[in-house]
Amino acid sequence: MSYRFGLDEWFVVELARTVHDSEVVFHGFGSPCATVAMHLAKRTHAPSALLIEGAMYAVNPYPAFIPPTSNDHSLKQGAVYSMRFEEAFDMSVRGEVDHMFLSGIQIDSFGNTNVTAIGPMPTPKVKLGGGGGGCNMSATIRRLTLWTTNHRPGRCLVEKCDFVTDLGHSTREGTRLDLGYTGGGPQALITELGVFDFPEGRARLRALFPDVTRREVAEATGFDYQEAPDLGPLERPARSQIEHIRTIDPLSVRRSEFRPAELERTFPL
Amino acid sequence: MGIHLGSDKPSDLQTAVAMIPPGSMVALGGGLSARLPMALVREVIRAGIGDLHVVGSAHSIDVDMLAAAGLISVCEESYVGYEQDLGLAPAFRRAAQKGDLEARESCCDTILTQLRAAEMGLSFLPVHGVKGTDIESLHPEYGRITCPFTDHEYVVVPPLSPDVALIHAPIGDRQGNLHIEQPYVLDERFAVASAQVIATVDRIVSTREVVEAGIVIPFYRVSALVEVPFGAHPTSCYPGYAYDRNHLSAWVTAAGTPEGAGDYLRNYVTGVDEAGYRRRIGPERLEHLTGYQASEETWMEIFR
Repeated sequence: MSYRFGLDEWFVVELARTVHDSEVVFHGFGSPCATVAMHLAKRTHAPSALLIEGAMYAVNPYPAFIPPTSNDHSLKQGAVYSMRFEEAFDMSVRGEVDHMFLSGIQIDSFGNTNVTAIGPMPTPKVKLGGGGGGCNMSATIRRLTLWTTNHRPGRCLVEKCDFVTDLGHSTREGTRLDLGYTGGGPQALITELGVFDFPEGRARLRALFPDVTRREVAEATGFDYQEAPDLGPLERPARSQIEHIRTIDPLSVRRSEFRPAELERTFPL
Repeated sequence: MGIHLGSDKPSDLQTAVAMIPPGSMVALGGGLSARLPMALVREVIRAGIGDLHVVGSAHSIDVDMLAAAGLISVCEESYVGYEQDLGLAPAFRRAAQKGDLEARESCCDTILTQLRAAEMGLSFLPVHGVKGTDIESLHPEYGRITCPFTDHEYVVVPPLSPDVALIHAPIGDRQGNLHIEQPYVLDERFAVASAQVIATVDRIVSTREVVEAGIVIPFYRVSALVEVPFGAHPTSCYPGYAYDRNHLSAWVTAAGTPEGAGDYLRNYVTGVDEAGYRRRIGPERLEHLTGYQASEETWMEIFR
């Protein structure tokens, strides 16, 4: 029988591929795919990365499993040091954190994200959870990787966010340069359909999952975008990466991010 | 910003929460699924203390339950919800959407900076970011300032001095010295910046035991101390117990409608005291949550 793996696993591999070796990388709370991806990167191509674990602020932990919440003590197993809340935030706003993962219920073509509300505040149609520390940290962290697992229904990648919680490359007050911000903004946007980059501060489609067409992406995307000249399918994961994911995340918390139909997408290897 | 040297600090929940006048700014300790001051939240609901302005970082059932009870007028937290796992906070969301409370959303580092300003006795501090986002539009009290050295324009924020901080710790002594495990989140900052600190602990122990574990919040910051076993349930309080995901999930389901939230509150809050609450949860379930140390498999099993 052939070896198969799921979209959730490939998605985590794509997130992990954005992690560089020897960088300081952080994810916020409520981010199962990013959590698994950071540990995958650390155990494969980025062994020297400094991994700051979610809402535990534990440094380089080696947890036996990923729990369904970001501040369970199981996430600091194997860490010899946990930062204080203040240390993690100071480090981020000072510019010492290289890379952070951020998600959005709405994301625009500049990479601005909305996790505050759908519809106008103060009495919106849907009050979302909120941004945590993203509104401060997105200004100063060197590189942001955005992700969403809700591209296909067409309501996530929008022309304009109802509310800008976290900064992309440009808002109504101007660009990052105009605002005097030191962080580099979003460098990648990974969705369940494909991967965008931001060469001119605007989202550009760079690659697709092999079971997705350019037309499907266009239909699901609310903003205009360029396509990379070498647009093609994503590079398949290695079997060892898939095995690592299954070891890191035996509770499969990563799968909680996907709608059931997306979880039926599997690929041979 | 209170120094509390008295030897007669309230030691029961009713007297402790009576220190909170309606309309108070209340800081909530802990965060997300860990060390939320739930016994105090339940007692505030029993006492019906309303018009509260709650402040904090990323929170969940504490804010959601106070919102369900109609006791919050302003919510100045950076996040309220149950992460990817259990999703949005139903009662909080309903109250915000109807305009029953003002969702004055803030950010973790902004709240931290405002508490630091209060601790340092400063009338403002600059914060990174915020400028260019819509968060600023929710806060007419913020300002802008140009740095005299670099010409960079910062958003500046006023100090945040809560009237009372509610904090839960695993252990403390009778004087109010508290030990908590990392992450402390904002609890140390709240303890200094707030006028009153009402603490619950799972166990009151000897001063020697707290000193050995490490004092994180000293006695002179604490104005009331109450022993409440499992006082953070259904959130975790390590090293004692893991969070009760099943119970959180049951609350989220119940809170999906106002009627469901009302039934839950009658069953688990207003109709019982804390001993009654623990009986409702059941000794076997509570025991199960303390058993996480047995093995990784046991720990994982708690969350299935």
